This record gives sequence, structure tokens and C-alpha cells, in this order.
Amino acid sequence: MSRVIALCFLLLAAVVGFIHIDSRPVWAPFSSGEVELTEAEDASQEIGSSAKLLNTVASKAKGSIQTAPPSPRADWLPDTGALSVHAASLIALRDGGVRAFWFAGTREGAPDVVINTAVFDTKSNHWSTPAVVIDRVGAEKGLSRYIAKLGNPVPSRMADGRMQLFFVTVSIGGWAGSSISTMISEDEGLSWSRPQRLITSPLINLSTLVKSPAVLFADGRLGLPSYHEWIGRFGEFLRLDGVRVIDKRRMSSGRGAIQPVVFVNSAQDATAYFRQTRGAGLPKQIPVSQAQNAGQTWQAATDLNIPNPNSALAGLTLRNGAHILALNNIEAGRHRLVLMMSNSQSGQWHVIETLENDESAPDQERKEFSYPYLMSVNGKDVHLVYTWDRKRIRHIYFPDNWLARAYSQLPIQRDSEVGADMKGAQ
Amino acid sequence: MMNSFLQTIALLEMAITSAMIIIWGLQKISQKEFPFAVKAVLLLALANLFFWPLGMSLELPLAAYVRGVTGDLSIVSTLLLWSSLLPGNKSAPISFKFGIALIALGFYPFALGFGMIDPYAWGYGSIAFFIAVLIFAVICGVANWSKGVWIVGFAIIAWGVHWHESMNLWDYLLDPFLAIWAIYGLCSAILHKRKEKARAGYLFRPG
Repeated sequence: MSRVIALCFLLLAAVVGFIHIDSRPVWAPFSSGEVELTEAEDASQEIGSSAKLLNTVASKAKGSIQTAPPSPRADWLPDTGALSVHAASLIALRDGGVRAFWFAGTREGAPDVVINTAVFDTKSNHWSTPAVVIDRVGAEKGLSRYIAKLGNPVPSRMADGRMQLFFVTVSIGGWAGSSISTMISEDEGLSWSRPQRLITSPLINLSTLVKSPAVLFADGRLGLPSYHEWIGRFGEFLRLDGVRVIDKRRMSSGRGAIQPVVFVNSAQDATAYFRQTRGAGLPKQIPVSQAQNAGQTWQAATDLNIPNPNSALAGLTLRNGAHILALNNIEAGRHRLVLMMSNSQSGQWHVIETLENDESAPDQERKEFSYPYLMSVNGKDVHLVYTWDRKRIRHIYFPDNWLARAYSQLPIQRDSEVGADMKGAQ
Repeated sequence: MMNSFLQTIALLEMAITSAMIIIWGLQKISQKEFPFAVKAVLLLALANLFFWPLGMSLELPLAAYVRGVTGDLSIVSTLLLWSSLLPGNKSAPISFKFGIALIALGFYPFALGFGMIDPYAWGYGSIAFFIAVLIFAVICGVANWSKGVWIVGFAIIAWGVHWHESMNLWDYLLDPFLAIWAIYGLCSAILHKRKEKARAGYLFRPG
């Protein structure tokens, strides 16, 4: 008799389970949509005709002298007095400003590390006084569990206009023991909801981190590129419904690729570039994965022929279809940081600006320029932030004219010339 | 508001679980079964100790520190542990431990990055996986272990009503502690059987 009652209860549970599965939203296409793609194609056609006149990087420089578009502007994120700062990120505000987030403390992983924020006024070109978004104790109380350290804040814009901040917390061990938490702001980052934990891993939710911006699906939900670092090192694509993970797809496998950066090419097509973490003797280049069904299944593709010294890269697509990367294009060290651009049609990458280069300095004097993060306010300009020797965060603004000119001057290449150019880019 | 309530419930669950583990440990040390009333009093005292903030230099209740390390345990682990307090409790059958151990050994390597197949992703809403879970529960029933049916049923309902932070059915069914318990239990049973066999062989060995 007790067995019959138990099986009846299981039947009830089965009904609840089936209703739950049935209410689950279907996987939606990316929201990039065909409108943006059409604009991109138009723009690249315009640019393509002028680019035919310019075949070499040398002629590019010559062109810039003739009309001299506004140059990139550099400044620093406000100093909080912290000895160590890292992992800055950006988001555009409704009023045209830019909000930055970064973590700061006596050292990376120290208990006194807090997540800071400041707003950049694009009219006056000034940063506001920095404020603390959350500290370790605040995270502990909000998440109702012990937290040892914080890191990697990544903001995102939800479909309903609210701002969502993802960040990493660690309770035990190093960064490989991380979990992702999230908070929502309804006032552009001035105040935040209680943090909530994203559950992403079956092993006591250990070892999922975030570094790169989320992408938007057509149904208003977010796709968050994340990565796993303990035992396996691989990328994961989380599908989020507000503060809940409702699905997850593997972007790579094994131990060689973390910190995916996703370029959405169309409603179904996306490419992810990774920071390589391969062992000795394996190629130190950027691993690539591709998805043709809005990120539901990812397949490893041929490496991008750009060196990567096991360091984070940042990526962005402009409205004209240009792809931008900020990265250390060297096989070892983080002492050179460059901005690269690619035509969406040719797919070939070219260095358009060397941002930092300590190549000529002795080894011990070389500084670290790392963790770049790219963001565009209007789809034409670019804001870049990166860690400058772990002491400060550098901010560089690239005006739209400057970027449009750089795009128009990308060399038209035959396939045979690509390899040689990439060597030059290094 | 709802989030705050669920966080409190999760802390309460962890406080009871922590208390249960201590009681289990005390029983092991004393090597005798405590009367139900003693266990109940101990549970009440220890669960309160873990649940309420103690102040001093501690920023959080003790249960929050445990939760920081372990996360939320699966419903299956939690109910198996809690049910051990009940009078007349029988330990889980060896075939259940064998099943859990086998699933865990197949599941964790793939879930932690071996290859592109991620069985953990099935837990978000794969019908095939859900039916497999139901079949597993029915097998428990057929094998005359009704407690297993109840526990899996509760785990499915908890997932359906979103009791914990996770939206993944795996997190309600399995956790590493359950896997370790099952593998340990299985190994102990095998060793015990071998010892018995060896002893029987010694007794009945022809002289």
C-alpha cells in the first residue's frame, strides 16, 4: 500500500515536472537582427569603394595626414587610493554618459577588495567621484553565505532597460573556486538590488567566471559568455532569464580556452574568441568557436592567427560591421597592447593602433597592460579601459571619425598576403 | 522579498543539515544509537546554534559559512540525511548506492569539461532526462524502496516550484557529497562481502 501511495506521489511530481518543462521558453535567435546587418553591409560597401584606393598600411598613414580626424583621447579612471586595481568594464548610460566598474583593494583577491564605479561625462570629459558598488561583507549578507573575495564586474543592459551587473565571488580557494552573482539597478547604477547567485556548475557551483559582455536574444533574455576554470578550462554560454540561468551550452572543451568574447554576426551566427590557456608546446594563438543556431551548439574552428600570451581580449562590433579587438598580440608577457580591426567580409585583422608597448624596456621594467574591455555608446565610437600595471585603469576614447577612417583604410588583401600581414601585425 | 524568504529557508535547511551531521558524528563516536528524544533535542539545539547569528567576530550565522563552502545540497542528499533521524530508519539499499555511484562516475567528468557533451545542460529541461529520472524512481518503487520514490518525487517538485537557486534538475538530485557517500557505501559493502566470503572460506576449508 505504501508503495502505491509513493508511486501516486511520483505521478504528481511528474505532472509538476512536465508543467515546468513545458513552461520553459524556447531558445530565441540573437537580437542583432537583420536591420543591423543591412546597415553594416551598406556601410561596408561605401567604405569598400574608397578602400580600393588604399592597398598598404603605409598609404593609410598618408591618408590620415590629409584630413586629420580627431585623435583618440586618453585619461585615467579616478584613483581610489587602492594599491591594486583590475578588471574594469563599461556600460553606456541613457543620458549618453559611460559608467565604469572595476575592482580595487590592497591586492587582487584580498578581503578588502571592493567593486568600484564612476561615471564619465562625455560632454565635459570628466570622471565622477568613485563609489563602492559592493564589498565582501555586503556580498556575504546579500547572498547569505560566506564570501572570501570579489572580482570581475561585468555590466549589461536588460531588454527592459534596467542595468544588470554580474560579478565573481569566491568562498574557498583561488579564482578557480569562483561563482557568478548578479544585481539589478533601476536607476542607472546608483543603487542596486540584493545580489543573487547564478547556479552554473554541478560541483558545489564551483568555478564559473565572467569577463565579457552579455549578448541579447530576440526574446529579451541575455546570453552571458562565461568560463569554467577548475579541472577543465572551457567556455560556457549561459542563457539567463533575469537572475536565473535557464540553459547553458558548452563553447569549448578541455583545458585550453577561457574568457570567451562573442561576436554576433547575424540572428543565428556567432563567433567566439578565447584567451588561450594551453600547455607548453601548443600554439599560443586565439582559439575560436562558432555557432550557427544562436549559440545552442558551438564547434571549435581554426585558431585566429594572432598570438595570445594567455591573456584576456576584448571585442566589439561597430554599426558599420567593423569588428574591433583589444589584446596583447604577443606570445609571452602583457607588455604590449594593441587595437585591431577587421572588415566583417574579409575577416582579416589589422593593428590600427599600438596602445602600449614596453618591448624595448628591460624585462624587469616592463609593465602589464591587461584585461581590456571595449564598449560603444552609439555603435560608431569606442571606449576602451584596461589595467595599467595593476596600479591604475586607463581609459581611451576613439571617436567615430577616427574609427571610420581606420576602417576605410584597411588594406584589401588576397588570401596569400594574409599570413605575411599577420606577422607584420605582431 | 521572495528572494529574502528563499535565502532564509536555504539557511534553515543548511542549519538542520549541519546539526544532523554533528548528531550522526556523535553517534558514530559513541557507537550506540541515541533515543529519538535525545536526537530531537540535540537537533533543536544545534540547528538554532547554526541558524542564528552568534555575533562576536562572526559576520554571519554558522550555517552561512557552511553554505559558502558547500552550496545548497541536493534535495536527495538532504532528505536522506534528515530521514536518518526518524525511528526505524533503514539505510538505503546497496543497489541505490550502486546506481548513484555509476551515474556520478559517468556524469562528473563530462560535466567538468571532458568533451563537448555536457550532461549537466540536460537538467534545464530535457524531456528524455526527466523521463529517465522518473524511470529511476519507479525502479526504486519496484525494488520495494518506497522512500526512494518519495525522495525523488520531492526533488522533482522542489525543482518544479524553484525551491533552490538552481533551475537545473541535477542540482536537486545529485551533489558531490551524495556521490562520495554512494561510492564509499558501495566500496564498504564490497569489502564487507569479501571479508565475509574469506571468513566463510576459512571456516569451511577442507582440513
